[in-house]
Amino acid sequence: MANWKKIGGGVAIVAVIAAAGAGLWAWNSLNTAASDVADGTTRLADFKSTDVEAIKRGEYVMRLGDCSACHTRESGSFAGGYDMKTPFGTLVSSNITPDPETGIGNMTERDFFNSVRQGIGQHGFLYPAMPYTAYRKLTDQDMHDLWAYMSTIEPVKNDIDENAGMPFPFNIRLAMAGWNTLFFDNSGFEQDAVKDAVLNRGKYIVDGPGHCAACHTPRNPLGAEIGSSYLQGGNIGKWFAPDLTANPHVGLGTSTAQDIANYLRTGSDGTAVAAGPMAEAVEHSTQYFTEADALAVDTYLKSLPASSTPAAVAMPSDTPAMQKAALAYEVNCSACHGLEGEGIEGMVPAFKSNHGLLAGDATNLIHAMLRGARAPHTHDRQTAAGMPAFDWKMNDRQVADILNYVRNSWGNAAPAVEADEVGRLRAYLGAGNKMETP
Amino acid sequence: MKRRDLLRSFGAAVTTTALASPSAAAELKGFPTQTAMSPDHLPKPAMKGGAFRVFTQENDRKTLAAVFDRMIPSDKFGPSASEAGCLEFLDDQLAGHYGEGRALYLEGPVRPETEEAIMGSPQFTQTPRQRYEAGLKALEAYAQATDGVAFHALSPDRIDEILAGLEEGKIDLPNGVQGKWFFELMLQNAREGYLADPIYGGNRDMAGWKMIGFPGARYDYRPYIEKRGENLNLVPVSLIPND
Repeated sequence: MANWKKIGGGVAIVAVIAAAGAGLWAWNSLNTAASDVADGTTRLADFKSTDVEAIKRGEYVMRLGDCSACHTRESGSFAGGYDMKTPFGTLVSSNITPDPETGIGNMTERDFFNSVRQGIGQHGFLYPAMPYTAYRKLTDQDMHDLWAYMSTIEPVKNDIDENAGMPFPFNIRLAMAGWNTLFFDNSGFEQDAVKDAVLNRGKYIVDGPGHCAACHTPRNPLGAEIGSSYLQGGNIGKWFAPDLTANPHVGLGTSTAQDIANYLRTGSDGTAVAAGPMAEAVEHSTQYFTEADALAVDTYLKSLPASSTPAAVAMPSDTPAMQKAALAYEVNCSACHGLEGEGIEGMVPAFKSNHGLLAGDATNLIHAMLRGARAPHTHDRQTAAGMPAFDWKMNDRQVADILNYVRNSWGNAAPAVEADEVGRLRAYLGAGNKMETP
Repeated sequence: MKRRDLLRSFGAAVTTTALASPSAAAELKGFPTQTAMSPDHLPKPAMKGGAFRVFTQENDRKTLAAVFDRMIPSDKFGPSASEAGCLEFLDDQLAGHYGEGRALYLEGPVRPETEEAIMGSPQFTQTPRQRYEAGLKALEAYAQATDGVAFHALSPDRIDEILAGLEEGKIDLPNGVQGKWFFELMLQNAREGYLADPIYGGNRDMAGWKMIGFPGARYDYRPYIEKRGENLNLVPVSLIPND
């Protein structure tokens, strides 16, 4: 999920640039030569692949790319209709079934390549909510297979006006050409000959179909990923995508590759449990990863240099606020999360040594306290345990205190959560206020 | 609604359920993704700093406080019922669904002569709010007639005497108020106000819970199951703690 607040600022600026035209530079980022390998004559509506193996591989590419997360909603498989609310209006995911009128039935394979890898669709430029910036890395082979799979999808008539909910100037698709000239790296995936095949496979999945950096890398004020902070954690508004580098305090430094594989394939490594957008990613995508691919991803992540985020100094535990929070924790949290913060393995997150929850950015914990959260529902873990919301019974100070307690107990150490951070998110998330009592 | 109509409507409901198309019901696939509490399921605390809405007359409040504070007097174990907010609690309840008798059947009985035997206790066509309005006036009138002073001005011993007479059914109050059952109603409500969660207006500072050693709205007691025969020193916790 893109950070829309930041991207929006970028869009406004690049709209001007797009209007002015950026010449060769633009031509380079908009060059679609990479799509020439694809057929430009047969429409998807007239094509039905019979290559069973290619279809199967294509379905797997779809899982790696998490297409259904956005394109499958109530209207049917791949029929689109997912409202993405942004501060600039609502974008709706498109119908990508082979229906000629309302889907992509009129696209040729080359058109399809242009859409997925170049961000140039049948109605003009795509919005970067579609992660074509990452999909650009998809190999020709994976794209051909994906095309074969798409030909087997049942056509669904579902007319969608993707940007009808975007006010001027964000409804001007041409503005994305400007965004592309600035931020779109129009180059495919390159194998690193120095590294082994597993690492290359892991990097391919992370940077290409998996589009992990879309959330896990912070963005600059113009909405582009900051290369020097690659996968070091990014705030996406209502959630925080944690540091995926080997940082031992807030990242994956203490996780084994097998832990991470378990997390991706089941939704939990036994300590952490996915929630929010990551729970969706696990449900729709990563639980389908092969063990080999999951381990490749982990091997690659473990190879990344640790971010420089230092260890936090634990807050003192003998303050009145901490002691009050300890009682509040026992009363409200311990039944599921455990008296020692041990959680329930695979179902309820532990707090002890759960490094993803110790970052300076406590958005995920605040979000879970105010709106609740739910674990992913996967083939291996069917419970999808729910965290109830506490917005009605705790004020900002009480939420901050209880989070400071869990982030600084049982050997944990994390920076203090302030009440006004909780207040800001309470308003932003539309959570209720603590109920008034006599 | 008449009882007969009510029974008929049950029959009709069964029939319609059987005939209604399945599409009429909301169908949930998978699991609910939202975990926030439905507003319907949230507690409804008493109004913060709310003025009295039912006991608007000062003399009624004094009469009720005089009764309540003999039922639960102030002593070494804790504050009196009125000190613990039982009047505020009851006023809030009577101003809402409880006072309206929302959950009560309030039509006249089909067979008055056997109703009490069938139901196991006397039934009323008045709402609890109406019973208090009539009952407090009747108590005051009784005190004026027998002692020549206001009910709340009676000595504690005299109030105890009257309450005992009511409980035993030996005193008839004016205007058809059945003294025994009005006494039972007040006793029940005094207990509720003293022991309900403080968010409902009574049990101020959790005095009632401290008195009986009730630890309040805690979710889980597993850490204490094995601890037997010792003082756990559990401090009581309200459903919506103030701090």
